[in-house]
Amino acid sequence: MLCGQRSAPSSRREFLEKAGLGFGGLAASCLLASDARAASRRDPFAPQSPPLPAKAKSVIFLFMHGGPSHLDTFDPKPLLQKYDGEPVPDSFRNRDFQFTKMDKVPLLGTPRTFRRHGESGLEISDLFKNVARHADDLAVIRSCHHDGFTHITGQNWMNTGWAQVGRPSLGSWVVYGLGSESQELPGYVVMLDGGIKSGSPAYGSGFLPAMYQGTVLRSEGPPILNIRRAKPAEPERRRLLMEKLDWFNRNHLRARSEDSQLEARMNAYELAFRMQVSAPEVVDLSSESETTRAMYGLDEAVTRPFGKQCLLARRMVERGVRFIQLYSGASQNGASPGWDGHNQIDYNHETMAAQVDRPVAGLLSDLKGRGLLDETLVIWGGDFGRTPFTDGAEGGARNNAGRDHNPYGFTVWMAGGGVRGGKAIGSTDEIGLNALENKVHVHDLHATILTLLGLEHENLTYPFQGREFRLTDVGGHNNLAAALTAA
Amino acid sequence: MPVFVAVILCVLAIAGTAEAGDAAEAVRILSQNCSSCHGQAKVAGLDVRTREGLLEGGKRGPSIVPGSARGSLLVAAVRHEGDLRMPMQGDRLPAEEAETLAAWIDAGAKWPESLTGAAAEAWWSFRPVSRPEVPSHGDGWARGPLDRFIARAHAERGLRPVAEASRRAWIRRATYDLHGLPPTPEQVEAFVGDGSPDAFEKVVERLLQSERYGERWGRYWLDWVRYADSGGFETDIYFPDAWRYRDYVIKSFNDDKPFDRFVREQVAADQIWPDDIELRSSYDIPEEKQRHLEARIGTGLYTVGTVYHEAALNGHQLRYEWLVDSVDVTGDAFLGLTVRCARCHDHKFDPISQRDYHRMMALFEGSEIKRIPVVHKMSEFGYYSAYPKQLKVFEYQQALKSLESRARNRLIDEIAAGFDAEIVAAYRTPKPKRTVSQQVKAAVLERALTEAGLLENPGGYSADLPYTPEERDRRKTLVAELGEAAAGARFELPSATVLGPAEVNYPVRMTDRGDWRPAGEMVSPGVPATLGEVAVESGKGRREALAEWLADPAHPLVARVMVNRVWQGHFGRGIVGTPNNFGRQGDLPSHPELLDWLASEFVERGWSIKEMHRLMMLSSTYRLASDSEPSSAAKDPENRFLWRMNRRRLDAESLRDAVLAVSGTLNLKMGGRPVMPPLSEEERLGMWDRSDWPESMDPSEHGRRSVYIFSKRQFPYPMFKTFDAPDPATSCGRRAVTTVAPQALTLLNSEFMLDSARALAKRLSGPEEPAAKVRLAWQLALSRPPDPEETENAVEMLAQAGTEEFSLMLLNLNEFVYLD
Repeated sequence: MLCGQRSAPSSRREFLEKAGLGFGGLAASCLLASDARAASRRDPFAPQSPPLPAKAKSVIFLFMHGGPSHLDTFDPKPLLQKYDGEPVPDSFRNRDFQFTKMDKVPLLGTPRTFRRHGESGLEISDLFKNVARHADDLAVIRSCHHDGFTHITGQNWMNTGWAQVGRPSLGSWVVYGLGSESQELPGYVVMLDGGIKSGSPAYGSGFLPAMYQGTVLRSEGPPILNIRRAKPAEPERRRLLMEKLDWFNRNHLRARSEDSQLEARMNAYELAFRMQVSAPEVVDLSSESETTRAMYGLDEAVTRPFGKQCLLARRMVERGVRFIQLYSGASQNGASPGWDGHNQIDYNHETMAAQVDRPVAGLLSDLKGRGLLDETLVIWGGDFGRTPFTDGAEGGARNNAGRDHNPYGFTVWMAGGGVRGGKAIGSTDEIGLNALENKVHVHDLHATILTLLGLEHENLTYPFQGREFRLTDVGGHNNLAAALTAA
Repeated sequence: MPVFVAVILCVLAIAGTAEAGDAAEAVRILSQNCSSCHGQAKVAGLDVRTREGLLEGGKRGPSIVPGSARGSLLVAAVRHEGDLRMPMQGDRLPAEEAETLAAWIDAGAKWPESLTGAAAEAWWSFRPVSRPEVPSHGDGWARGPLDRFIARAHAERGLRPVAEASRRAWIRRATYDLHGLPPTPEQVEAFVGDGSPDAFEKVVERLLQSERYGERWGRYWLDWVRYADSGGFETDIYFPDAWRYRDYVIKSFNDDKPFDRFVREQVAADQIWPDDIELRSSYDIPEEKQRHLEARIGTGLYTVGTVYHEAALNGHQLRYEWLVDSVDVTGDAFLGLTVRCARCHDHKFDPISQRDYHRMMALFEGSEIKRIPVVHKMSEFGYYSAYPKQLKVFEYQQALKSLESRARNRLIDEIAAGFDAEIVAAYRTPKPKRTVSQQVKAAVLERALTEAGLLENPGGYSADLPYTPEERDRRKTLVAELGEAAAGARFELPSATVLGPAEVNYPVRMTDRGDWRPAGEMVSPGVPATLGEVAVESGKGRREALAEWLADPAHPLVARVMVNRVWQGHFGRGIVGTPNNFGRQGDLPSHPELLDWLASEFVERGWSIKEMHRLMMLSSTYRLASDSEPSSAAKDPENRFLWRMNRRRLDAESLRDAVLAVSGTLNLKMGGRPVMPPLSEEERLGMWDRSDWPESMDPSEHGRRSVYIFSKRQFPYPMFKTFDAPDPATSCGRRAVTTVAPQALTLLNSEFMLDSARALAKRLSGPEEPAAKVRLAWQLALSRPPDPEETENAVEMLAQAGTEEFSLMLLNLNEFVYLD
């Protein structure tokens, strides 16, 4: 099922040699023989041509875990500065927040400086001074909203288009709709060097078949779960194992030749072999030049982890991986809050932005330099935005100049994949609490992303529990694809 | 607050005449484009969900004039011909859709038949189970009535059943089907050599009498009722007693508890058998009380659903989500109906209104989750007598905390010394008492404390506290003494989490489109009218009434749904291919009369599930080989009519258990707290808090059967997830089977597999002759001896690669993973 058109015999030869299998024994002959059969069978991952003209072929979704503040980054609010420290005006007091009652807390201006950047004059704060160099590539959507004000519901909304668990994630829908261009790597890869609050459902396949779920790829150590043997064996023994396994399976198949599942399973082993070679190869950055490495911030400790993820993302895009999601701010021990700046948000965001600003800018430059940006949609966002007033639980648990979660108005930006940058779309109200003009619900965001990939969000459906489900449920009417791609 | 907006997406697929197609299409267009406002919300008074609603129209008068599209307001509105332009938001309807509506009105605006009342009542699964006559087909092949139904379907379609499977294939199939484990070589050989006429019966009986049976079928049940050991979402709360319900399920299957009783217990044991028995003595629990207690653990069904955590959660919402989960799981597991559509709006396809759904919620009104002790009174007293030992533990914890806080305060003072008195005073003011300006001032010092890691910063709380050497020593001593104290303490009072009467009763009201906030009138308890009526009387529990209704032999769905599940467990696919959906969007039965015959047998044989296994497994149909045959394959490529046996891949749990069994490391200990086998560093990656999986310390526990492994909603056991175990967010009627590379990686490279291969190699070290090793390996893993060519190849591998590598290869074979 996973053999195909793109693997030339030469790469097979290379594969077999690299795998320590030699170019005899198991031999290309049997693998090639299965190719002919496999080619005639429907492959759930076979690249599909999208129904609409596609702008983007792949997606890199940069997820700021914890919820980055739009007010300190991409959505300047002069009025909020002016009323810094004042009570929240009555007219805004109509919302629920996780820890905050609005009548108990002051407005909190941003200590950051916003400047106009690029020819477009897009306003971006000094937390992202490197990304700001790409202002003319960014389309900043300032009027995003959903209603999940906790991390799980926020992350579920952003990733699966629904607050509750159980729905397929955006990446699963994309691979379900478009298949994968890669023969050696999974079509949907997630990089998180730590845990995320919503757990694996955030990149799960929900009710879609499990094969569409995101595969976690690590930038340190073995890149994919079980890609390497827990206890290494001699290459010769491995070769024998694969050879005999194939012989016995073929022998078993002889009386059952009509059964495609058995053959599919043999092919899955073949893909597994290829992954064992290509996954370590994709995470091996030794072939990248010093200049490139520096571009992503690999030369500095603070930017190295996320920089490595960004560089890996580019390498995967080059290898045809369809959907890549990177997390900034995942936790190693259930304690680090990532971008969740309930406390001292300025310090929090300074720290977090310092980890991602250079890498993200480097990613955009590098993609552009290699001519990949046009077909790669880069998305930046998080669980939600943050409140324009301080975070303060009743009883005052946390009012230390932090901001609470704000799903009612926040920013997501996109670049590449056909998006014409240098513009801001929509707006929040004067203090940045609620999306106001040209409101963009998560369903609209998802509809937009699918459209940019050439998929029809209303027709990308899957039957479950007696009805057809889609990523955008009954929404997605405010599809921004046309506005984003317009000059 | 989250508002779970109505989902009005259902797509119609109604076969029939062109006219019916147009009608269905028209209804679909209305449903998708109009009913979000002009549906339940009745904006401007208009409801487009029924023909009557359209005829009545809204503020502007009737929407349609049947026979005259030109005269119909609806058409003018969607064509944008007048001042009223619809839909108000979003895109204009595509011209062809507008024309479909016009043509449909011109043709009389007939409502699709399948959606009207009479047709709804006539839906096959809502009709009473009939006792069909057994067909006369299948002479010479059929062993019983079941086979005759199958034979008739063969005859009608020109299908020819293939030959019988070999005895080896059959016993392997039967053992996995009932135990989820391979037969031992001795069992296989005994059966192959058994010339007695009841050889097959003896095997089935042996398998049904073993407790392995309950573990296998209990696991199926747990899928159907969305069982897990934690609540999911951010907090993913641990359910300390969920395992009691799991063990209850396993025991119920092993006891062959009559299914109607099983249903009654889970739905309403506490109400049917109220626990008012006086204790005869404090040292034991009277037998009858013990039975009631065990039955009541069945209500644990309603305590193991997802717990929708919201920090700002309101008690009403929590309760609403619990009621919804209770109704959904009742619908999925017992009724085989997806009632959940009706949470937000009237069901589009099945005759379940939103009011019906709320009436079902009201059946759970007056009930709530309770934790009760499950030990006799003296044990409970013993626990409280020993309580001071726990206080000792708390004392040590307290002492450690104050030590820590002293060190912390010293550091804070040190930092605060560098700030203005006013700022420090603001910081010292308790948070709730701070004025707004004090909040701003305090924040200045708090920033410095954050940077120092004394308050939460991006690295957590990272400060290195300045303990004095004396404090450090003291700390060490306290930690050691705390350990000693904890070792002697008794932390748990054995309890069960079950249903009981609610402390505060709060009536169920109608809600609006899935929002939890009560928005309408009070609702009386009930079930969808098409399905009958529950007799809620005063003095009787509401769930009791539900239980009686479900367990009524005349119920059209309950018996059908369950026998269909049993069928699926033996043949890979149910007679109805959608076991959780017997409604209009589900599959039609392939053998409707057989399904009814089985359902009536089920009830007649005392709702005995084991009887159903006997019936199915001793049939000729179950004996079929899985070989294909071209002429039948051309006519019925999916084998819906069972002219051969379906080849099946082992599910996640059977696969792991089989690896343990073959390698000789399976630990058959039953029951108890969830087992947490070791996870590799790689596997733990992605877990929010790595301490959430405290590995079971006794290594023999790591070989426990899969049904006992911790089912954590936010972190499914990696091997199970790879092999298609379902997400327990909702009931899963039938698992997907996918074939992907990560499965190969798991079976080739994971620590679990390498350990198992080593254990198997050790087991194979018995026979000295390589050919004998191979023979043993084949018998253990594949339940058959190898042929000479296979032996030759295997011996060659043994010599060159060693026994471990050979064992690993064996456990990766297609033949090991698939059942013929």
